[in-house]
Amino acid sequence: MFHKGLWYQNYKQTKMVVWILLVLFVIHLPFQTILLLESWRSHVKHMNEHFPGQQVEFHAFEIYNLYFQGIFPFIVMFGIIFLACLLIGVERNTRRMDFTFSLPFSRKDMFLSKWLYGMLLIFVFHIVNFFISYFTFMQSEFSSELGKVTLIEIFYGPLIGYLLVFTFALFIGTITGEMISQIALTFIFGIFPIGVMILVQSLIEVHFGYSRFWIENLQWVENITIFNFVLNHQGNEFLDLLYPLIGIALFTILSIFLYERNKIEHNGEFLIFKQLNPIFLVGITICFALLGGIIISSLAPWNATTLRIIAYWIGVGIFLLFSYLITRRLLRMNIMIKNK
Amino acid sequence: MRIKHLSKRVHQHIILSDIDFEVNTGNIIGIVGRNGAGKTTLLRTMVGILDPTEGDVLIGEESIFQNPKLKEEIIFVPDSSQALKAYSTKEIVTLYKNIYPRFDVEYFHDLMNRFSLPNVKRIGNYSKGMKALFSLVVAFSTRAKYILLDEPTDGLDVIVKKRILKILVEEVAENDMAVIISSHRLDELEFMANDIVMIKEGKVDSHYELDALKTQYKKAQVAFQDHMPDAVKKEVNIINQTGRVYTIILERKNIQGESIVQEHNPILYEELPISLEDLFIAKLGGEDIVS
Repeated sequence: MFHKGLWYQNYKQTKMVVWILLVLFVIHLPFQTILLLESWRSHVKHMNEHFPGQQVEFHAFEIYNLYFQGIFPFIVMFGIIFLACLLIGVERNTRRMDFTFSLPFSRKDMFLSKWLYGMLLIFVFHIVNFFISYFTFMQSEFSSELGKVTLIEIFYGPLIGYLLVFTFALFIGTITGEMISQIALTFIFGIFPIGVMILVQSLIEVHFGYSRFWIENLQWVENITIFNFVLNHQGNEFLDLLYPLIGIALFTILSIFLYERNKIEHNGEFLIFKQLNPIFLVGITICFALLGGIIISSLAPWNATTLRIIAYWIGVGIFLLFSYLITRRLLRMNIMIKNK
Repeated sequence: MRIKHLSKRVHQHIILSDIDFEVNTGNIIGIVGRNGAGKTTLLRTMVGILDPTEGDVLIGEESIFQNPKLKEEIIFVPDSSQALKAYSTKEIVTLYKNIYPRFDVEYFHDLMNRFSLPNVKRIGNYSKGMKALFSLVVAFSTRAKYILLDEPTDGLDVIVKKRILKILVEEVAENDMAVIISSHRLDELEFMANDIVMIKEGKVDSHYELDALKTQYKKAQVAFQDHMPDAVKKEVNIINQTGRVYTIILERKNIQGESIVQEHNPILYEELPISLEDLFIAKLGGEDIVS
């Protein structure tokens, strides 16, 4: 796990994205903090000029927005997924994995060196930038505003969320055969539980309206949705961190298990483990068919119930056919760069 | 190093089937087979890139799959240096030094000078011949005992090829090591290999010392009054025909075949020196020569 050669190789492979990630973290935390504080200052100045004597109040959501909502956590998450893809996916697309696997290290050590390398990077980048941001905040005249939020909300939650996304993206890399499928499946499965819930809700809504069959958003479904922990982190108790922590442990163990059983001869193909092909063929086809139903039914007038149901099933039919054909093709493809 | 009953299946196709042979240091072993016979798969499995479906690769009595540290003794040089093209010469040294404890930096620079290889910022900037030479220089500098080369001279010009063949022979002669080469450049293998493993449809068709192999067969040029009689055709491997003149290969122990040829009174019968290419055609089949 701590073989210098493997760490050197990891760094060489990901150098560019590591620096991009650092810049993203700097913009996300310290830079945005300075901007937020400046905008508050100008707001206070504005209020004092036009409404003297009036109490200026700030809301907790503005601080949330800085630390774990808004566009930047999403961009940082994208960077983290890309890092995971450079560590596993790109290796599979090129001949690099042949080289790595010929080295005198166990596959477990190879995987753990990648995992630990990424985890440490994210950990250090986040802590350092968070500290600078928090310190800047504390030193400003608005330091008391930090009392409106907890460290679990603004520090531990997002950090563990990022670590979870990285572990998850690496895990997906252990079952996919190349980079594009790794990115695609990370995003698909990152929102999968909530996605399926929305598909089922729409199916019910089109046929029965909001009747007794309707299911509300379920908390446990949100709790098992990976991206939820970065993009929509909620909760301010340590117990709320339990789900992502269990996720990290689970995906790490599973990844080691799968990486050791790597079928490198299937590199370049959509999936490494061929026994998963039928499951993916059926799963992807059904999900896209249901999505097609939603899309086409949304074209029908809202109050024409029968027409919406017909449009829904036309959408399902069309998308079923095409997603089946495309998925079948996808599962057979091989993207391997073989130039000498 | 022992390749023990190795089998490999990919996509339900059997690529290797019960491959079993031993590699001893001091030898250059040629792995010969037609395109798609499974040579590269064999090499990739021998170094643990691929998991065998069955069988094992042992160094001493230990499996390289159970104890990957043993792979410090095996270097695989693929037919492409794609994997490390973004590295500089200096970075390669750092990388290898950290991976192979016996990597000999001094020897590396020595070989670099001997082959006039310049230090570069990207290995990818080397010409094709330089890349091939560089891969060998790096491989030999690791001081590994077993070096596996996949088509080392593919697409190289004659001068580079000669230099590569020379360094191979020198290294094996001077150090306690073995080189295993997969190639279909039979003329080159003939020049240096002393052991030949022929692979046909994923199986070891034959494993011989080259000189011994040559003594088992004889090559001859024959001509008859008319075309070759069918009785003779059944007994010999025809590797070439020009008019009524046939070039044939015959097993020496096939005394009956020899006498049948003589019984049909050939007007020409002349024994020729046999080459590895002749054996390749005789054993692995057909006139559609692979090269």
